[in-house]
Amino acid sequence: MPTTESNFKNFIRKHKNTVSFSDKPNVFYPIGIVDPSPCMEACPAGVNVKAYVSLIAAGKFHEALHVVREKNPLPGICGRVCTHPCESYCNRNQIDAPVAIRALKRFVADYELKNPIPKPGKTAGKRTEKIAIIGSGPAGLTAAHDLAKSGFNVTIFEELSEPGGMLIAGIPSYRMPRDILDIEIGYIKNIGVKIITSKKISGKAAYNKLLKDFDAVYLAIGAHVGKKLGIPGEDEFKGFLDAVTFLRAVNLGTAKKPGENVIIIGGGNSAIDAARTALRLGSKVTIAYRRSRDEMPANDEEIEDAEKEGIKIHYLAAPNKIVGKNGTATGLECVKMKLGKPDESGRAKPIPIKDSEFIIDADVIIPAISQKPDLSFLPKNHEIDISKWQTLLADESTMATNIPGVFAGGDAVTGPNTVIDAIAQGHIAARSIEQFINGEDLTSTSDGSKSTEAEIKIDYNTQPKIKRAKIPMQNVTKRKGNFSEVEYGFDEKTAIAEAQRCLRCGPCDECFICVSECNKGLSVVHTSDGQNDYVLRLPSEFDDTILKNGKLEAVIKGQNGKDIPIEVDSYIPLVTASLCRGCGDCVTVCDYDAIQLIDMGDEVKISKIDPDLCRGCGTCVALCPSSVIQPGRFTSDWLDFKLQAIDLNKKSIVVFSCSWNGADFEQFSKIKVRDTNLIFIQTMCTGRIESSFILKALEKDTAGVLVVGCAADECHYEFGAKRFAETYAKVQQIAYMLGYDKNRLEYATVSGKNTEKFIEIVNDYARKIK
Amino acid sequence: MNLVEQIKAANAYGCLECGKCTAVCPVSLFSNSYSPRSMLTKTIRNEYDSLFVDYDLWSCLTCRRCDAVCPANIDYSRLNQIVRTSAKDSGFKGKCSHSGAMELLQKVMTTENINQNRMDWVTNDLDTAEEGEILYYVGCAPYFDIFFDDINISTTEAAKSSIKILNKLGVKPVVMKDERCCGHDLLWNGDVENFKMLAQKNIDAVNATGAKTILFSCAECMSSFANLYPDNGFKVNQKLMHMSQFIAEQIENEKLDLREPEINVTFQDPCRLGRHLGIYDEPRQVLQHNDGEHYHEMMQNNKRSLCCGVSAWMNCDITSKRIQKERLRQAKQTGADVLTVACPKCHIHLSCTMKDDFVKDNYEMDIKDISTVVLERMK
Repeated sequence: MPTTESNFKNFIRKHKNTVSFSDKPNVFYPIGIVDPSPCMEACPAGVNVKAYVSLIAAGKFHEALHVVREKNPLPGICGRVCTHPCESYCNRNQIDAPVAIRALKRFVADYELKNPIPKPGKTAGKRTEKIAIIGSGPAGLTAAHDLAKSGFNVTIFEELSEPGGMLIAGIPSYRMPRDILDIEIGYIKNIGVKIITSKKISGKAAYNKLLKDFDAVYLAIGAHVGKKLGIPGEDEFKGFLDAVTFLRAVNLGTAKKPGENVIIIGGGNSAIDAARTALRLGSKVTIAYRRSRDEMPANDEEIEDAEKEGIKIHYLAAPNKIVGKNGTATGLECVKMKLGKPDESGRAKPIPIKDSEFIIDADVIIPAISQKPDLSFLPKNHEIDISKWQTLLADESTMATNIPGVFAGGDAVTGPNTVIDAIAQGHIAARSIEQFINGEDLTSTSDGSKSTEAEIKIDYNTQPKIKRAKIPMQNVTKRKGNFSEVEYGFDEKTAIAEAQRCLRCGPCDECFICVSECNKGLSVVHTSDGQNDYVLRLPSEFDDTILKNGKLEAVIKGQNGKDIPIEVDSYIPLVTASLCRGCGDCVTVCDYDAIQLIDMGDEVKISKIDPDLCRGCGTCVALCPSSVIQPGRFTSDWLDFKLQAIDLNKKSIVVFSCSWNGADFEQFSKIKVRDTNLIFIQTMCTGRIESSFILKALEKDTAGVLVVGCAADECHYEFGAKRFAETYAKVQQIAYMLGYDKNRLEYATVSGKNTEKFIEIVNDYARKIK
Repeated sequence: MNLVEQIKAANAYGCLECGKCTAVCPVSLFSNSYSPRSMLTKTIRNEYDSLFVDYDLWSCLTCRRCDAVCPANIDYSRLNQIVRTSAKDSGFKGKCSHSGAMELLQKVMTTENINQNRMDWVTNDLDTAEEGEILYYVGCAPYFDIFFDDINISTTEAAKSSIKILNKLGVKPVVMKDERCCGHDLLWNGDVENFKMLAQKNIDAVNATGAKTILFSCAECMSSFANLYPDNGFKVNQKLMHMSQFIAEQIENEKLDLREPEINVTFQDPCRLGRHLGIYDEPRQVLQHNDGEHYHEMMQNNKRSLCCGVSAWMNCDITSKRIQKERLRQAKQTGADVLTVACPKCHIHLSCTMKDDFVKDNYEMDIKDISTVVLERMK
């Protein structure tokens, strides 16, 4: 029996979604335990992917976006450009293709634009401390967002004329429309973040003033300096510019065709962006990459799109030297490569093939090999530690630099990296800055607790293959010469269907909608014991709170000073998929739409219970003709156990009742009738009582069976009582046919919680029975 | 006899491992895991610990499809019954559909003094007696009708039709108001004790009526009286006839004649009537009487007939459904308008699948008991 908090935790874990029973009163039931699903684990920012995908599947789009925003203040942006590691880890990969998570996120972000709801108002200014953030890219914006939410005054200084950092300077608008960027940045401004653009902090005085005027400084300056190739001819000829400079010029300045024949060198996302941008400006574009397609770090979709649009990619071609005439480049000499053993990056090392040089004609050459931060703003005698790659050094679990109060993150620390990683670092930095200002120790996030062994039981063999929704795209022929967005979003129907492909790994989707929408006398709480999150559903009879200071109490103090041990059972029934006949009876009985039939192909369907929508009445369990729905509670074994109390030497009466109307289970022990052995059996709803329950009681030779439930119009589950009335009518006919005395069976209803009435009914019935 | 001796008696040790059983088994055909041969191997290796908890122990339909092809003459169905009994005695149980409501009903019937009201279906237009030479054994049809009213079938219809036929022939059959379940399902799912109680009570009741012949619409009830009772040491004195046999005999003796059929029919051989009792010809004689071309055989017929998918209310699952769908597909394929059955279980199980909203369109067809089909054609 659990007595301490950690025992309790283990206890819940052990009993998770299992059938266990006890004759002790139910005290509370966990709805779910937050066991991260692989998508959530894979997301650097820790976005609760499963929750928002589930909410989309349920058509709750605003709620879904709310879940995204909790960990990602830039949903519309990530919905377009995220490299979506979540999809790579999606368990659907084991069956067909991952859920199109990125496109789903974009869908909800777009949905809110069309169906606006009030934006959260200003939260900054509740505290007096001031924080400066240098750089308005995703790392800076995220930290600003989090800190403003915590009430701090946040000012972002941006060197460029518009905020967004690489989002605006690096990512072309055909992938990242500027209005989306404006809206999402507007959202952050709305909560009180100040953004000062065209403001470069430079020089000793400005830098020192910054440190003096602000309580903390966060350097999120990105990596905007393109690295040089280091090959002959680079400094000799004109017609040579690096990818970031090129993209920045196009994205912020005037769109000018760079040249007739453009060569891009590199295989990352920047290379593809530069190539597709040049193509849109009217150039003929070639990419030279020294490894093969498989090693190319750019997104597959991006590469595919580039090729579709007409960009030629030379694989296994390494630049050797620039060739030119009259001071202007005329081409790039490349050498053919072959792949050798993997190098330290894990990718196959390219080895030059002797005498295989060839020249690609070009008047403009754009290397997109890598970038580094522009550290020129730092005064000469700054004391910040810098890495040998010219990046800022910061503790990756706190984002703190060696200077107290100065933090750094994003590409400035990692070198060129993804948007979602920058967001993740923004979160860490914001938390550390808050802790720093509060005078607390900086806590590390990477405690190694990220487990990839989440207990996820999916029977892949029983999962049907469902085609991944295709993301609608602009026709390739229409893409030249303009920068309109190439990818379109899902429509509502597609989004819901795609979200429904989610396997919903783990016991609960952790959307916490139940917590926010808890009604009908239930108290649903979301709590944490510091390490794990729990969602608990407390029966209404326990209104004295068992949660103190947001922590779980393992023991409830009983009235006589004795501790009441806690029993935990899940009440959500499970369908044994391999046995389900797919008759659909359960779908028909459930008015909560909690049960769906899943098409397994070959005319086979199996039913699946949605743990969010299920309220645990058990009616489906009672009515399943194949008995393949396993209840979490109120099993037949439990009934057998209860019925052991039948004493044939006495007049034994079995009283079935529901847990809502009538009497509380605590009262049962106090109800006494002379010379009568009363056996009280309480189920969640009378809907759970199946004909076999009553037949079993009769078969054991009880003197009588009494069922007390809610009146049909008062049933907590709306339909449970109605269904039971049908079951009862059947059993009554059977009992009549078997020749039982009419009185051996009775069904009565009680309105509301009414212990007196309940006792009266029991007494009246006991009197009738001989 | 201990378990090993019983297994020996079922000839299990003679297994040649040829695998013919698994090749013809309808369960194996549609389930991923089930194999009679491997079940038998486990049994003769005494692997009871794993066998008793195996879901598949309760999957055998005891349809005797394998027994019919076994070159070593193994009674696999009986072997299953033996192991199930042993499992039950050791406290294990299988998965009963409807949470065992049917099983409970049968157990309730073993109660010494029950005073059933099971005659409500006997309407005024039906002439029955309490004593007489010919007894019509109804079976559990009145109870089935209550349980399965939601799939909208009436199994007492077969009883009503049978009695009407008998009345037309001038017979006023005995129908017992204290008739109990024959115990067939209890025996097959391993509850020998309660089966024996029911057997004794039924034999006593039948003898008390002075009946010399017992007629059945239910093939399972008939196989209980014909096979299971004698096998378990009960003596049955009466002549036993399935309604199809009785009707065939009447036609033969020119006491009964049928109009030419107007609709096409096909016939589902119940496992109990066919492979358990060897009655294949009479139902066909009846259905083909005075008929040129309205009778159609399904692809699998006679000894190769396909079971209706569930036996003794055990393991009604996706495999059952697949078997039932295949059987209905075969029935549809004949082009018949009516699927004729000769056992209420076939009637219930095939109707249930037919009523399933998701397959309805492809499989729905009229399903009638052979007595009902005959009554409609009687001159």
